[in-house]
Amino acid sequence: MGTVIGSSIVVDGEVRGEEDLIVQGTVKGKIVLKEHLTVEKTGVIEADIETATVTISGKVTGNIVANDKVEIRSDGRMIGDIKSPRILIADGAAFKGSVDMEV
Amino acid sequence: MPDPVTIVGEKTRISGNIEGDEDLRVKGRVDGKIRLTKTLYVEEGGIVQADLEVRVAVVSGVMVGNIQASDLVHIMQSGRMVGDISAPRVILVDGAAFRGRVEMGEADGRADARPRPATAARPAAAPTRPIVAAPARPAAVPARPAAASATPPPPQPPRILDKKKLVKKG
Repeated sequence: MGTVIGSSIVVDGEVRGEEDLIVQGTVKGKIVLKEHLTVEKTGVIEADIETATVTISGKVTGNIVANDKVEIRSDGRMIGDIKSPRILIADGAAFKGSVDMEV
Repeated sequence: MPDPVTIVGEKTRISGNIEGDEDLRVKGRVDGKIRLTKTLYVEEGGIVQADLEVRVAVVSGVMVGNIQASDLVHIMQSGRMVGDISAPRVILVDGAAFRGRVEMGEADGRADARPRPATAARPAAAPTRPIVAAPARPAAVPARPAAASATPPPPQPPRILDKKKLVKKG
């Protein structure tokens, strides 16, 4: 089932995992994952992120390094730099930062 | 809105502080500090090395640190806990491993779990001592076990024992 950070939860520190992580609450610090990160609508991340893939429907402040894919959905708001081979930014999404697709 | 559930999965490790108003289930590992207004479940296989401020803590995995619970701390059979507990209700199940102090505030007579293991341990330990002591002093052997066994049980069994010993001696 992976890891779920619920909507009333605040994590201040480092989250490391080799399984999916769903964030509905708040994570401050650092996230290092080998699988998929989902930032849901209520989710707030103030952290640098290393992951395989990430889907953002909430709010992310920090830099993302993804070795597969970053997707910012229409509800998503992201401030920070993204480094990933595949980046999707949906219509309605807010993004401020630089993009590095290693091209 | 669905019930808020937070799970730290088996392959996830969090170091730092976790705060919240919902249940937290730890199947993986958390190092740091946890403050919840609801229940922390340290699941079987889960490791929590943290100081806790929670309402309820249910420990089925490994818990290292101090727990301050406003309601209940429950150490399950598979639970292993090292640290101090401060809670009005503490349940320590048979098979659970625990080392640390327990502070339940004012005793209210509900602590059924504590006296029973204590009284059970004493009779188990008591018979071993005379047996160990007896061979050390051969001269005193006939007198001491007879006197010791004569006091607690009813009158008949000691007489039988005395007769057997006399027969053996003769």
